[in-house]
Amino acid sequence: MSRILTIAHAEWRLWLRSRLAFGALLITALLLTSTSVVTALRMSEAHHARIHQQAVAEATFLSQPDRHPHRMVHYGHYVFRVPPPLSVIDPGVDSVTGQSMFLEGHRQNTAMFADARASAELGGFEDLTTALAYQLFLPLLLIAIGHGLIIREREETTLVPLLAQGVTGTELYAGKGIALVGLSLALLLPLAVMCAVAVGRGAAPLASAGVIGLYALYLLVWCSLILLVSSVARSRSLALGILALVWLGTALIIPRIGVESASSLIPVPGKIETDLNMQAELRAVGDGHNASAPEFRQLQADLLAQYDVTRVEDLPVNFRGVVARAAEADLTEVMNRHAEERMALEAGQARFAASFGWLSPVLAVAAGSRALSGTDLATHHRFLREAEVVRFDFVQGLNRVHVEQLAYGDDINRNIDAEASKRTRMSAENWNVLDEFTFRPAAATERLARASTPAAMLFAWLLMLAAIGALAARRVQP
Amino acid sequence: MPVLNAKALTVERSGQQVLKDVSFSMQQGQVHALLGGNGAGKSTTLLTFLGFLTPVSGSAHVQGRAVSENVSAARQAIAYLPEAATLYGHLNAYENLRYFLSLAKTDTDRRALDAALDRVALQAEAREMRMQTYSKGMRQKVAIAMAILRETPILLLDEPTAGLDPAAIDDFNRLVRDLAEAGRTVLLVTHDVYGACHVADRIHLLHKGELVGSFDRPSGMDRIDTEAVHAAFAAHAA
Repeated sequence: MSRILTIAHAEWRLWLRSRLAFGALLITALLLTSTSVVTALRMSEAHHARIHQQAVAEATFLSQPDRHPHRMVHYGHYVFRVPPPLSVIDPGVDSVTGQSMFLEGHRQNTAMFADARASAELGGFEDLTTALAYQLFLPLLLIAIGHGLIIREREETTLVPLLAQGVTGTELYAGKGIALVGLSLALLLPLAVMCAVAVGRGAAPLASAGVIGLYALYLLVWCSLILLVSSVARSRSLALGILALVWLGTALIIPRIGVESASSLIPVPGKIETDLNMQAELRAVGDGHNASAPEFRQLQADLLAQYDVTRVEDLPVNFRGVVARAAEADLTEVMNRHAEERMALEAGQARFAASFGWLSPVLAVAAGSRALSGTDLATHHRFLREAEVVRFDFVQGLNRVHVEQLAYGDDINRNIDAEASKRTRMSAENWNVLDEFTFRPAAATERLARASTPAAMLFAWLLMLAAIGALAARRVQP
Repeated sequence: MPVLNAKALTVERSGQQVLKDVSFSMQQGQVHALLGGNGAGKSTTLLTFLGFLTPVSGSAHVQGRAVSENVSAARQAIAYLPEAATLYGHLNAYENLRYFLSLAKTDTDRRALDAALDRVALQAEAREMRMQTYSKGMRQKVAIAMAILRETPILLLDEPTAGLDPAAIDDFNRLVRDLAEAGRTVLLVTHDVYGACHVADRIHLLHKGELVGSFDRPSGMDRIDTEAVHAAFAAHAA
């Protein structure tokens, strides 16, 4: 066995024989396993519940009786964001942004993404998830076990006899490093099992492998840092103090600074403010319920000219339906523009906060983990866009029924008596304009691309620490 | 060619001169003792031969080669017993020996380990016990066994008899002579004038980093003149 492996093996033996180290390892292994199981059960339940709710919502919409098509526009529909398989590891912004959305005519219910401020990009601390356990608690265990790796040899005066056997500082550094990295990789086992479970439930193997790779890289960063501090610190207590401070800074302080800076530098207007700004533009579009509103005179004139008639009653289409359809299209354009502006601001906030990953590996791994798991803000925005497509399509589908199947005369006289009202009820078969909605996160390659910047941050950390470590290793002296 | 050679060694630690122009050399099979009070520079001399300290002037040579040119080769040629027998408390005697010897790339089997532990008279029943339960003397014996097992041409022993009982010290002194007769060169550091006079071929008296005297074993005698060494030691201590 080479010297490096001999040193690593001796360190593992020490940990196994140390009650403190063994106890800490056991507790962490239990924490990781229990957290993984609980997160998996929670997200699995949410997955099934939302699929069921989606099916119920669609069945409820389709089972509505014959009605005036515009009543169905206002009856509305629900869409649910089904958590992706890898959310068993990292639920990401799921709990912060909400997962369902009510779709109806003339409005985008933006309440869910109104809450999705950049702070949501931290993933929420209220639940201990597998991702959080790996991001926050595993480094603490590595610090507790590894802070004395090299300084202990100096303090207990075993460094001199070690080096006197011909062991070089670099060999000692590498051996201790392999011991710590080996432990970290062993602790990745619960994560690997979770990824395998996720793949069994339909997760992309590429994204799952990416999650394991990302966390392995993250733990390598911590191992390198711990090893470096342990080799340069003057005492074990100092090494522990430095590492505890680094953990505090990278896990709690820098992320908070990142979020606060993002919020203040890239302010996102609140829901009420956004709606007030939008209302003025929406008023200019006109009320689609009122076909005689001045905003639709030009539309009326164009339509009369197109069909070469002088009265809307003579048109072959229902003018009220045409107005509803045109108004919906114009309203949607305004609402989409505002929604895109808002999402751009939110994405900008998230990007700015994530850029603090250059200062904090915890932030970097958190951003990469959410991207790969398909639970990041970008995925939520994708859900909002897809939901809007569903909303617009079903509303316009109903408007088309209104235009083509409901006679204008019946429509304007629908309140005269019960019989007139009955004539405006369209067959329930028309409600199948509703498309089946199944939300899926972006393809694995796209998620990998989104995780590439956080991965690059971690890689930069690793390179920097390894380079400094290589210099420190040569200077290991009694 | 001297096996160990200190040529006008001057060494500084934390900006203070701890060795000043120290010169001596050792031939194969010789036993030399460095004698002196605390802070005399005895351990510093050993650490300089091991390459842990770099002289500001002069040079240390191991087997004819300057240590600064190839520290690794110097350490491969030397078995070093530190002042406090620093071995791992969570390991037993066998595990400690195997660990350090494997790092030194010295192959040993259980019989060789037992033979070395027999030579230092470590009780058989203690060998499987973790060393955190050992007395200082027992730890010292394991450390001495390790130095023997290294089978290097040179042994540097820092206070090897510290913690040993008188009988064990006598055994140790005999062991050192045996090793020297087998061709191994031993440089030991001690406060023990009497022991040094009995075991060493030459004693170097160090005082505040300077070599203030050397005493040879007269030919045909079994020891160096203890009274002369004691007198010189006392004169400098005063």
